[in-house]
Amino acid sequence: MTDPVRPSGTGPSRTVLRSSRSRLSIQALIMNLTVYPLLILQTLFFILLAPLVLPLAKFLAGRDVGRTVRYFIWVYGRIWMVIMSPFVRFETDGLSADRFPVPCIIVVNHLSFFDIFCMGALPFSNGAFTVRKWPFRMFWYAPFMRLAGYVDMESFGVDRAMRRCSALLSQGVSLMFFPEGHRSRDGELGRFYSGAFKLAVQTDTPLVPVCISGTDQLLPPGRFFMAPATVRMQALGSIEPSGFSGESDHVALRKQVKERIDQALADMRRCSQESNK
Amino acid sequence: MTQQQIIETVNRALSEEFELEPADMSPEAHLYNDLGLDSLDAVDMVIVLENAFGCKLRDEKAIQNIRTMGDLYAFIEEKKKELE
Repeated sequence: MTDPVRPSGTGPSRTVLRSSRSRLSIQALIMNLTVYPLLILQTLFFILLAPLVLPLAKFLAGRDVGRTVRYFIWVYGRIWMVIMSPFVRFETDGLSADRFPVPCIIVVNHLSFFDIFCMGALPFSNGAFTVRKWPFRMFWYAPFMRLAGYVDMESFGVDRAMRRCSALLSQGVSLMFFPEGHRSRDGELGRFYSGAFKLAVQTDTPLVPVCISGTDQLLPPGRFFMAPATVRMQALGSIEPSGFSGESDHVALRKQVKERIDQALADMRRCSQESNK
Repeated sequence: MTQQQIIETVNRALSEEFELEPADMSPEAHLYNDLGLDSLDAVDMVIVLENAFGCKLRDEKAIQNIRTMGDLYAFIEEKKKELE
């Protein structure tokens, strides 16, 4: 007869484990009770500020509305990072201006709703996201997304979306894609769709892969309760699409980028495990 | 080329191109709803099948009516019969 499986920690070590777990859950509770109200306040502040600042920027300073809103969204992301900072450690690698040609197409792996907010860590503000239909249902964000020129890939259809993306790139606006199309449910990198890569080849725009990890610990898909986490972001070297010009070369580009992101994420996970030891 | 060879060639080509799981590629599987392909993938799918079977498919009107893997197998089988 085999022995029943015993819990891995016994005696004092179990007590330490239980105590650190309860400390963590208290920290998570404090995090949720403070961060969400602050996020609501931050959002309300930007919503109230926009009708004052945008006309002033347009008529007095002659600034393009889309450009101003994209700057606002970037500042919003940076403030979000400050609000999160007591509970979330942000580690960045290679997020310097020289890594991001202007304009460029940024492809990011997708783990959490908060991935978009993390783009406040990018070294420039003139970027627009290509997204699916559902983010436009958030009525408090939708007007800003529209003014910033975010592209609704799902509703537009391929041809119109690609024309819109090309127009933004020609205006010097960098575009950000989640090539998986949705958040990963298991932390693994999913299948990549071709849109970003086809656009890069057609418009001869450099592509910058960016890896993100830890946001699935912060707020996993389908959850509302946040947890303290370490979020790591790494920009990989840009890739020129000029070497990929054939009928199916965007597929080769897609495969190469996916391989690089996959490898970088594996390295990030390994570093994370080593630092946790 | 037998029907089984056509199925195997199509499945191999599409799983390599779109990272699809062979187990998901049943004849009933809908290309868009079940396998998650989009309209850009549909264009790439035609190119990859042309390369796999060595014949031109993009001008065929019937290709626009393909919805499931079963439709795709039948379309290729028909095309191969025409060419033989």
